[in-house]
Amino acid sequence: MDEMQEIMEDFLVEAFEMIEQLDQDLVELESNPDDLELLNKIFRVAHTIKGSGSFLNLDILTRLTHHMEDVLNKARKSELKITPDIMDVILESVDMMKALLENIRDTGSDVTDDIDIEPVVVKLDAISNGKNLSEVSNTSSEPQVEEKEVEVAQQVEEDELTEEDYANMSPEDLEAEIERLLQQRQEEDRKKREAKKKQQNNEQNSEPKKEEKPKENKETNTPAPVQQPKSNKKEDKKAVPAKKLSTVEQTIRVDVNRLDNLMNLIGELVLSKNRLIKIYNDVEERYEGEHFLDELNQVVSSISIVTTDLQIAVMKTRMLQIGKVFNKFPRVIRDLSRELGKKVNLIIKGEETELDKSIIEEIGDPLMHMIRNSVDHGIEPPEERIALGKPETGTVELKAYNEGNQIVIEIADDGKGMDPDILKSKALEKGIISEKEADMMSDKEAFMLIFKAGFSTAAKVTNVSGRGVGMDVVKTNVEKLNGLIEVDSTAGNGSVFKIKIPLTLAIIQALLVAAQEELFAVPLANVIETVRITVEDISAVEGKSVLKLRDEVLPLVNMSDIFKIEKILGVNQYLYVVVLGVGASKVGLIVDGLIGQEEIVIKSLGEYLKGIKGIAGATIRGDGKVTLIVDVAALMQLAKETHANSVISTTVETKKKKEKPEDYVILIVDDSNTDRKIMKKSIEPLGFTIKEATNGEEALSIIKNDTDIDAALVDIEMPKMDGYTLAQEIRKYNRFKNLPLIAVTSRTTKSDRVRGVEVGMNEYITKPYTPEYLTNVLKRNLKLS
Amino acid sequence: MSNQLQNVIKQQQEQTNNLTTDSKDEDIIQLVGFIVGNEEFAVPILSIQEIIKPIEWTKVPFTEDFVLGVFNLRGNVLPLIDLRKKFGASQADFDDDVRFIVIKIDDELAGFVIDRLTEALRIESSSILPPPDTSMDREAIIEGIARKDDRIITILKMNSLLKTKNG
Repeated sequence: MDEMQEIMEDFLVEAFEMIEQLDQDLVELESNPDDLELLNKIFRVAHTIKGSGSFLNLDILTRLTHHMEDVLNKARKSELKITPDIMDVILESVDMMKALLENIRDTGSDVTDDIDIEPVVVKLDAISNGKNLSEVSNTSSEPQVEEKEVEVAQQVEEDELTEEDYANMSPEDLEAEIERLLQQRQEEDRKKREAKKKQQNNEQNSEPKKEEKPKENKETNTPAPVQQPKSNKKEDKKAVPAKKLSTVEQTIRVDVNRLDNLMNLIGELVLSKNRLIKIYNDVEERYEGEHFLDELNQVVSSISIVTTDLQIAVMKTRMLQIGKVFNKFPRVIRDLSRELGKKVNLIIKGEETELDKSIIEEIGDPLMHMIRNSVDHGIEPPEERIALGKPETGTVELKAYNEGNQIVIEIADDGKGMDPDILKSKALEKGIISEKEADMMSDKEAFMLIFKAGFSTAAKVTNVSGRGVGMDVVKTNVEKLNGLIEVDSTAGNGSVFKIKIPLTLAIIQALLVAAQEELFAVPLANVIETVRITVEDISAVEGKSVLKLRDEVLPLVNMSDIFKIEKILGVNQYLYVVVLGVGASKVGLIVDGLIGQEEIVIKSLGEYLKGIKGIAGATIRGDGKVTLIVDVAALMQLAKETHANSVISTTVETKKKKEKPEDYVILIVDDSNTDRKIMKKSIEPLGFTIKEATNGEEALSIIKNDTDIDAALVDIEMPKMDGYTLAQEIRKYNRFKNLPLIAVTSRTTKSDRVRGVEVGMNEYITKPYTPEYLTNVLKRNLKLS
Repeated sequence: MSNQLQNVIKQQQEQTNNLTTDSKDEDIIQLVGFIVGNEEFAVPILSIQEIIKPIEWTKVPFTEDFVLGVFNLRGNVLPLIDLRKKFGASQADFDDDVRFIVIKIDDELAGFVIDRLTEALRIESSSILPPPDTSMDREAIIEGIARKDDRIITILKMNSLLKTKNG
């Protein structure tokens, strides 16, 4: 049972692969009906599926392919010329074959009520029996038959005997025929063996004499001239699959799940690599000049290179050529142009461009829709084109190419193009945009209107497109792949649609930004630029804050407002704005810090937390912390909703002014009770409020939970957490960046002082000190006179 | 190999599920007890992946307040739920006894913050009482009530703990 299942699966995989190629071959065949090589190839597909199908008891499929095979066989032998009408029937049968195979894949059987093969079978029969269209095809193909007659005469005769008359044979005759064929085969084999032997002998004998070899070969190859066409033919037939086989052996079919798993593991490795690099950088700082650093450096860089290579290699195993998707479009264009009475020529370029499998699977439908759209709305009918002085046949160009870390798929037509003003008025009419918006809109933004839900420019609804659904779905689908769509169009000259998608979904380049203390990763593909502005650069339009950037006016939104993050940071003089773009719309996102660019591995948030607005997933960074990844399209939606609030209100109310020492809270951190008392005595008389902690850990929790601390006096030598570590931990928080930290210690060496500065201490006081000195330092740091 | 392992785990899990629901074959079920607020709770020992000391987590916007965020457990991003907030217990700080219990629920891992662990419990399934009628709100997440010595232990229904989806 399992074995059968396995065979079935193999059969389906093979069948679908063959069919994919088949569509393209068939369309090519139509323009090139005499290409015997092509015909043979197509015939073999039908033949193979028939053969395997009968073995798997797929009777309906077998019956259909059998009739297809008949027609193709005739065409192959030039008894039938492929006309567009015959091609229609053949294509129809191929579609049916596909439908049956899909049904088999889904249900395991080809018995279904949805598919009725009989009408097609009847048509195929009619063609192969030469009814209806036979006369036309016969007369037109006559001269060719004559030409080829010498070559194929005998073969045709034999083939006819061997292949076509079986059905009419009595069992006895059939047996006799089998006997005859067997004998023939044996005879051939025998001859072949002999020839081989001879050749081997020759090779052995004639190795030094090279000249003899070709001669001998010639002789062995022509023992029976009469039979040559036949045997050649057979060998040809065999040779091609044999060749295929040998290439097949170069590849292994691997379950996609295994590759996914591998990809996950690589993701882990990338994260560990990032972490290793981070640790190395820390170590380097601390032990500069030490000998082992060189060695460590070598190991770290080699691991990092290997990891990157490995990542690329595994990514490549998941890559498929986009030709896999493009292949079906010649057929689509052909059907469409016939249906719509237009003449369209499809040019495909860059089909060898590779993309991740998961993207290939998702990109097919959007592309299909856009191509249909180009033919239906873009290309004019032939008469119109002639009247416009354009070539009668329209051109749709489908192109794929790499551009940096992205793949660009371009669909260009030389049709009527789009008029931004017409689009705008249409959108106004349908209430998709307001008059004001229409006025503000650039041409590019107007073109993007076609991707709005409920927008359709087709005056009449055709079967092909124009139902008002579709282009918006296309956009959503492309955005799901982290992709972008760009449109350019010149009225009268055609339109160009560009889809830009990342190479892979699992690992992306991201810009890390901080909203207050929290970090977020923004996919770099959606970041247009980052700018630093001052609060004065923000202007208000209708109470909403905007930024004038060159000729553009960007709505400004604070990231903390979007994600409702509590504002704890004071306002800096400078604001950082990340300009995000999805399609033609742009938003300026105010963040509290730009951390940098990093390669991140996308991880899901799991069932429980999935579907949070504006969050696409999470990643684990080099330090092991989780950082959320922003879903830019959703974030921009949220940003628009949040935009109602003015940015000026995002600033925290300035802390109440502190002037006297009484307004300040000082934290004293020291494990020695005596030392704490000495410090307290020194500064208390001034009126400071004083808090105490006995070690770094305690101090950290006081500082974190009690934001009122204005400065800290820190001992270095302490249990649990020493002063250096404490300072390091404190400086990790943006809001404590400017908190005065004063080391008060008996460690007096120069390296201790340097270390103190490195970890972020503002001052370094060595014991013993005078109370005056301590208060002066403290006052200086609090800017108290 | 990992498949086999998974099967074994699955079987074990099924067993524990059986253990907590019907008690025909096994009379003793094994639980891990912990304190949240003033109450003692317990979950089946086999549903626990591991118990770790608190580590850093990342806040996630637009979630209910008992969802602290997500944290990194050896390369996996797991949600972190503060049972103390979820059960409305008074908010204590993270002291030395606080632990994250990582539990596998329907093949998904999640971390839960508890105040402290008590002990591994062996309880006769016959001594487990159904949840009291009065606990309307909590009923959905309570499997039953067990008595051990003088203590009353609430056994939690694991797969309901994550049911209350955020909006």
